[in-house]
This record gives sequence, structure tokens and C-alpha cells, in this order.
Amino acid sequence: MTKMRSNRLKIVFMVCLAIVTIGGQHFESKVAQLLQDETEHIKCFVERKDLTCFWEERNHLHHQYTFTYSYENKNKMACAVSSLLAGNKTIFFCKLPKTPFFTTLDVQVLRDGRMLYTRSLNAENFLFLDPPQNLTVMSSGKEGQLNVSWLPPPLKYMDDSMIYEVRYAAEGSNMGKVEVVKVSTMLVLLGLQSDTRYTVWARVKPDGVAYKGYWSAWTEPVFGVTPPSDVDPLIVLLVLFIGLILCLLSLTVILSHHKFLLKKLWPDIPTPEHKFPGLFTVYKGDFKEWMSQNNGSMWGRSAHVYTEELPSPLEVLSEVSLTSHGMSQREEEEEKESERSDSGLTDRWRDPPHAHWLMEQLRALQENPESRCQSSLLQSHDTYVTLNQGDNEQQVYDVFEETLPLQTLFTTAGTSSLSTSHSDLGSLQQSLGSGRLSSRSSFEYPNHTWPHKGPGYAYMAVADSGVSMDYSPMSSSRIAELGRHRMYTNDYKNEICPHKWPLSGQHIKSGSESCTGPVW
Amino acid sequence: FFIKTVFLWLGGNQVSPLRPICDLRVLDHFVPEARDSEVIMVRSLCCRGGCGVMKSYFVPLTSVDFAVLEHIDVSHDAVEVQTGLSLLDKALSNAMKTVRNSPLANALDNNISNIHSLGQILHSLDLQVVVGLHFTSPHDSAPASTQTQEVSSLPELLQVHSSFLRGKVRLLLSAAPACQRQNS
Repeated sequence: MTKMRSNRLKIVFMVCLAIVTIGGQHFESKVAQLLQDETEHIKCFVERKDLTCFWEERNHLHHQYTFTYSYENKNKMACAVSSLLAGNKTIFFCKLPKTPFFTTLDVQVLRDGRMLYTRSLNAENFLFLDPPQNLTVMSSGKEGQLNVSWLPPPLKYMDDSMIYEVRYAAEGSNMGKVEVVKVSTMLVLLGLQSDTRYTVWARVKPDGVAYKGYWSAWTEPVFGVTPPSDVDPLIVLLVLFIGLILCLLSLTVILSHHKFLLKKLWPDIPTPEHKFPGLFTVYKGDFKEWMSQNNGSMWGRSAHVYTEELPSPLEVLSEVSLTSHGMSQREEEEEKESERSDSGLTDRWRDPPHAHWLMEQLRALQENPESRCQSSLLQSHDTYVTLNQGDNEQQVYDVFEETLPLQTLFTTAGTSSLSTSHSDLGSLQQSLGSGRLSSRSSFEYPNHTWPHKGPGYAYMAVADSGVSMDYSPMSSSRIAELGRHRMYTNDYKNEICPHKWPLSGQHIKSGSESCTGPVW
Repeated sequence: FFIKTVFLWLGGNQVSPLRPICDLRVLDHFVPEARDSEVIMVRSLCCRGGCGVMKSYFVPLTSVDFAVLEHIDVSHDAVEVQTGLSLLDKALSNAMKTVRNSPLANALDNNISNIHSLGQILHSLDLQVVVGLHFTSPHDSAPASTQTQEVSSLPELLQVHSSFLRGKVRLLLSAAPACQRQNS
């Protein structure tokens, strides 16, 4: 029992001694790696300058193993065999003294005097080096750079035949990069993140020209920190200066074209406020009040406004033959006054005498909408200026074509009457409401019976001076009276259905065929 | 071809001293070409069976003992290398005659040209004063100039050729004093 225990202690001591004498700190890892990767029975590698060969066997400690080698036709030489326990297997190895390189080695393993394994190899092709020593990572002072350096393998005449791999990764990152370096023992890592901690590893292998071998194990990780980003103050100043210049240029352009830009970006919303002075400021939008306060003065003004801004699409040709017996004395007086005071029909801005009455009628209509369709007789005592070329039918056609100036009218035969009336149909439309205009000719009624169209139709007197046209409402009695004369009519049907316009003048009818009043 | 031209020009001009050629990349280019001959030989159907002609070749010894590489102050290593290159030149030339009209013949011809170039390089290094370099132990009985071996096949010849270039020739060039003075 005691003898067995001592034998075991001797074996363990021998194994430990073998490890210390044969291999360095990486010996076991190299053996383990070759046991996994190498397929030959006899696995060999050169760690520094000596070749080590090993093989594994099951626990056959009772066998006698012999290792021999020869080269260049020399006699075989023996190598002392050592063993190492590895679980349920035993590792037998031999380290050749004075290993010959650049020649073919013939190695053999004999078990109990019998050939077990054999192999021919060149030792310079099985270099298995230790990881590079003194791996150092230092900051170069430049942004995104690190200087990495290490020592070559301590093998003279071999350091110029080595190739290195440097692996680096940011701390905490699984993505790393590998750089390959030939012969040189330093490397500058570029393109790194600023102010970041990096981990660096390195390993070595023969370049394969004169020597071949396996990749060494990776070194222990070494850390390095990249310098923080250093912004050049000159660049900052330049950027600020250029930015300032761009701002000034933009401001200059904007100021020089501010009106144009304002129109494009913030167009003015049209408002009719300037056309209705005081409506929104004084009367707070109460149109009735505004109208009541501005009825007389605003009527003509609004008429003027309507004349300017709301052109009437209605084209009315008027031709009427009026006789003096149809006119009242008052009308004649007013006509004379108008003739004296008016410079033709162009002076349309004098408030016509019937305008006030008309506004009252309109107000009454607004206050009492139910009477909209009730017949009401609008009396007008105004006189009218009519286009009259006498009873001559030819003259009627001439006027119908709107070629006769007003002056000519006054000089023609027959009676004529002047009346001030509204300048255009549009203004009347504004006060009378919407309606449709149709035209008829008295020639359609050869018996001079003018058909009264009933309450749905209103008649207007139209005076055309060749310069402008005046429209004025006419009563049904007046219409009937005028019906006896040859005339052209434009039937104007408005929304105020049964109105009968009182007429003081004669009915002037036009023969336009296409009259459509503007709808307000 | 450019290197050969340079060497021929250098060899033709014996008046002016040659500038040392210390760049090992030249030799590192010759070594793969020597290995290519081995590969071509293996792939060639002609030579798998020995090409029908078995011939003995005297070739230099190629083994290098790093343990004793710098311990002996003997300057005959340069002579050993030059002698070995001469032996290889002869052996390869004889081998090329047996493999005419085959792809291996061109490869062997290239190897022979490379050996001539190496001779010019060694000449430029002025290796007569090489000291501190000895490839083998001085205890060997055979003198350095007669350290040869005999091989009996073309594959062995090519293997010796490759090993000699990678070993002794390269070590001599890397340790040449003329190149050490340039690096310092």
C-alpha cells in the first residue's frame, strides 16, 4: 500500500517536472489544440527551437514506447519518451535535442519493439509559437487613433518571416475588426470612435515562405482609450462666420422683397369694408341702420359703385315712340329742369326724384316679406328721357341698333321726354332684386295691344344715349298706355312678383333678344 | 526576367564593385518557384512512376541547427552555400534532360536561372569575411566543402533544392554583414 502510494507520487512529480522542463505555460493548450486539429498519429510542433512530438494512447502504462528519428541518411537516433495523463488517456511526448531544420526528418514510434507510427516531416513547417509579448496600446494624440505595438518571437533569423493579426473592439461591443500585419511589430488603428475604450488582442504565425506553422493563441486583452474629439477652433470660427454671412444675405433678400413675399405668403383677404364706410366701425354690421343713415347720399354713390364694379351683362336696346299727350305737366317741368341741369344722360349721379320713394318701397318690402307677391303699384312721377326718333319705324330700328346719340334724340321729330333714371340695369337690379330679362318687340303685336304679362313681370324704362343706358321702373298703367305704341320691349321678370311700377314717363322698351339680368 | 537581366548586367561588369543586394524578397520569390516544381512533379503523370529513369544526384546538405548557429566563428558557411548552389545547378540540369517536352522542364529551367541569380547576389555581398555563422556543428567529420548527400529520385532532388534555398541560403543572406551595415 505504501509502495503504491509512493509510485503514484513519483508519477505525478515526473509529469509536473516534464511540463516544466518541456513546455512553457502554453504547452498544454498547444497539445490540446493539436489533439483536436491534427489528424496524424504523431503530432509534432516547434515551440522555440526544438521539435516536440507526441501521441496519445489509452491507459496502457504497462507498454514500452520508443521514439526514434533520422535525417539525411544518418543513423537513427532515439528520443526519451515522457507521458502525461489526460483523463482516461495518456499523452506520450518526446522533445528532440538539436532539432535539424530544413531537412526531412523520419520519426517512428515503437511499442514494445514493434513499429506503431511513422512520419516524415520538415521541422521548419510546424512552428507553433507563443503569443506575442509586451502587447501595448497607447494613444497617439490624434483623434480616432491608437498605437499598438508588441515584441516579435524570440527567434533570431525568424522575425522577418512572421505575420501578425491584431483584433480590436470597442468595450462592450461584440463586433470587432482584425488587421493583418506582415513583419512589422507595430500598428496604428485608424477610424476609431473618440473617447472610447478599446480592447486589443494579437497573435502570430510564420508567413509560409521559409517557415510554416499554426496560429498562436491570442494574447491577453490590452485596453486603450482614444482621445476625445478635438474641434479645431479655427474651424468653429469659420463655420460661425460663414453662417453669419448667410444669415445677413438671407435677411437682405427678404427685406428687399418683403412686399412680394407678404403678398405670396399672407395675401390680403378681400373685404368690402372700404366700400361701406362706417358699416362695421360705426353700425357694427347693421346694414339696415347703415342704409337708413346713408340712404340719400349712398344711393347715388352705391349706384356709382355698382356702375363701376358690377357691370351689368344686360344689354338693352330701347326704342320707343312717345307722344306729348302722354306726359303730365309735372313731367314736362321736370323734364325741362332735367334738360337744363343735366348735361345729357351722362349726369347720372343726381339723385332721381323717385329714388327716395323707391327706397321706401324697398324698405317696406323687406319689413313685410309676405307682401312680396302682392300687387303693389309703384307710382313714379319722374320723367324719362327716351330714345325717340318719332313714329318712324325706320328710326325705331336705328335706335334699336344703339347708334343714335342723345343729342340727336333731342333734335328729332316727335315728342321726347327726359327723365332721369337709373343709369344701368344693374343698379336697379340691386334695388329690385334678381330677375330675368326677356325682350319682346311691339311688331309682334300688330294691333298695338301690348300684352300685360301680369304680376310676375315688371317693366322698365330704358334710356340709351349711346353713351350710357338708364333704366327705370314703369307701372302697369304706363305699360298699358305705351302698349298702344309700337315699341320694343324687354320684359324684365324680377323676384318681386306682382309689382306694378308707377310710371311718370313713357315706357321705353328695347328690342334686345338676349337679356339676362345679373342675379344678385 | 527583370531580375535575371539585372544580374546578367551586373555579372558582365566586373570593373565596378557590386552594390549589395540585401532584399530578401528576391529569395522569397525564388522559394515558391522551387515549390511549384515539386507540385508540378507530383501532378505530372510522367513523374509519378519516376519518369522511367532513376538517376542519382549529388546534392548539398540542407540541415540547419539553430542551437549552434552562432556559436562557431567559422567563415566557411558562405563557401558551403556557394558550393551547394553549384551542386544543385548541376543536378537540376541533369534532371531537366530526363523530363524534356513536359511542363516540369520549364519549371526546372526557371529554378536553374534562379540559382544563377542567387550566385550573383552572394557575389554582391562579398561574403569572404562572413564570420559567426556555421550551419552545423564543427564536430562533424566531413569538411564543409564536402558536405553532400546522394539522392536517387527527382522528387528528392526537388525537395533538397527547396530546403536549401529556404534554409542555408536565406540564413546566409539575412546574416550578411553588408546587409547588417545597411540596416544599422
